Amino acid sequence: MNIIVCIKQVPDPEGPSDSFVINTEANRVEPRGIPPVLSLFDENALEAALQIKDADIDNVKITILSIGKRISNAVMLKALAAGADELVKVEDEMFDSGNLDSFCAASALASAIKKIGVYDLILVGRQAADWNAGQVGIGIAHMLGIPAVTLAKKVEIDKDGLFVERVLSSGYERVKVLLPAVVMASNEVGELRYPTVLQRREAKKKPITAWRAEDIGFDGSIERKVVLLRLYTPEIRQGKCEIIEGLSLADAGKNLAKRLREADVI
Amino acid sequence: MSNNNLVLVFVELAKDNTIMPISLESLNTGKRLADGYGGKLATLIMGRNIGNMTKELRHYGADIVYTVDNPMLEHYQPDCYVMTFKQIYEKVTPEVIIMGDTLTSIDLAPRLAFSFGAGLVTDCVGIIFDSGDVRFIKPVYSSNIMAEFSLASKPYMVTIRSRSSEPACRSDTAKGEIIPFDISLDASLMKTEVIERIEAEDEGPKLANANVVVAGGRGIGGTEGFEQLLDLARVLGGAIGASRPPCDLGWVPSKAQVGQTGTIVGPSVYIAVGISGSTQHIAGISGSKVIVAINRDASANIFKIADFGVVGNYEEVVPAFKDSLKEILGSMDDGGKQ
Repeated sequence: MNIIVCIKQVPDPEGPSDSFVINTEANRVEPRGIPPVLSLFDENALEAALQIKDADIDNVKITILSIGKRISNAVMLKALAAGADELVKVEDEMFDSGNLDSFCAASALASAIKKIGVYDLILVGRQAADWNAGQVGIGIAHMLGIPAVTLAKKVEIDKDGLFVERVLSSGYERVKVLLPAVVMASNEVGELRYPTVLQRREAKKKPITAWRAEDIGFDGSIERKVVLLRLYTPEIRQGKCEIIEGLSLADAGKNLAKRLREADVI
Repeated sequence: MSNNNLVLVFVELAKDNTIMPISLESLNTGKRLADGYGGKLATLIMGRNIGNMTKELRHYGADIVYTVDNPMLEHYQPDCYVMTFKQIYEKVTPEVIIMGDTLTSIDLAPRLAFSFGAGLVTDCVGIIFDSGDVRFIKPVYSSNIMAEFSLASKPYMVTIRSRSSEPACRSDTAKGEIIPFDISLDASLMKTEVIERIEAEDEGPKLANANVVVAGGRGIGGTEGFEQLLDLARVLGGAIGASRPPCDLGWVPSKAQVGQTGTIVGPSVYIAVGISGSTQHIAGISGSKVIVAINRDASANIFKIADFGVVGNYEEVVPAFKDSLKEILGSMDDGGKQ
């Protein structure tokens, strides 16, 4: 069983607002002073892969695939330490996050997956933490001509195929799909496990393959379907919080209710 | 591709068979675009035994109501929905396709976009019609940045965020012309098979379109604290939410998670209790009209974006707050202020 987990490296989405700086001329966002991290839902996707590996540890191989302008081995070490077996990274100027729409990103990933060649299951996060498009997993499946299942909260494999618990607005459904397939993981899968110090040390010995765009036959000639016109800073919510006080905290609670009524909030 | 200036809105039904609020918001947005183009507004509804709702849809400003009633469309199944949508798309060739950002469209919209070779902007919070063209606005980078997009070719596809626009109002006159489509669906083309569907018990209003949300964070301390918040939510007829830690710690089901990585909400009132206000949480609540924060830490981030706040231990604040609300809302029922 060969699993490819696609992981995007993004600037820490928890960084303070002023660390996301707009370069108007280049029409791109330049993070300042915040570290790159693994995109959150992609971590969930890796956790789903590791849960499959837990059940059949000797027969499951997990390959991390990451595409970007520059990919930090130190950041990807977290994925390898958590239990992935190897890393394939494709780095190129043209993979700057703002340059790729979902169509281009899916094409590039599909090309890289074809070059890796062997796969039964491809796991991706439901959306990336920077642009939140949520389309790439379905795009990869479309381009590889294989089925896709979205919003996965649990992924299991048995001899009959792949079973995915898929989140519904009220409850969930259990879906069966034949392999190979793409599964898009949601946060309900659970947080990525935390590696031990030993695992982190061992992870440094795991194989890393580095490709360029040309190695996967990607020349950037695919036309963008979604065109970025401009970036701007949103209006920040007015930062004037009216603090409600009272003789005691209970009294403050009471006053809060009164004040909300007065202000026609409730 | 086409020049009929048709704007098509995909309408979804809630479990109780009413039109989803987000679909009414999509219809309102669609109307604005159709008027801008000088074109027609069409809506598409699909499902099983949806005759009544098809008729009801005629009251919401659409010129045409396309409807597909087929037992195989009772529940959302990607291949069936894509096949159906594609056949209709090829017949009516809309310029713009608008869908609400729902759990269905999260799956369906990208499938259609790749199938049509169309560009899609998801989770859009603003659509601008300007000199004959359309621009799409969505928050990116944890809502720290807004991005404005155009689409390179028709059809334009967009999913819009809940409560980012006003809903279409019901008019007494039913003007939409119903056009039923008889679609042939081939079950053998289904690539996924639903083995079972597990319905959760109804836990009150849905987060995404709740008018009031009461949410707790790590500061709540455990499941017992959330019981208190649930009581508060009941008094206000609101939905219960949480920041990420309580979900990861298992104090509440993960579907309660509010934020960029959970449900994005836009209620009239968001009451954040014991929530410090991480970036990704704030990204999911910034569409709230009023934010109320209760937190013992006066320097917590949440106070920077809140409109009203109490600094103190929630266990002392919330019971009195709740009783007081009960009194106020109760007196309204008794003929007080309406």
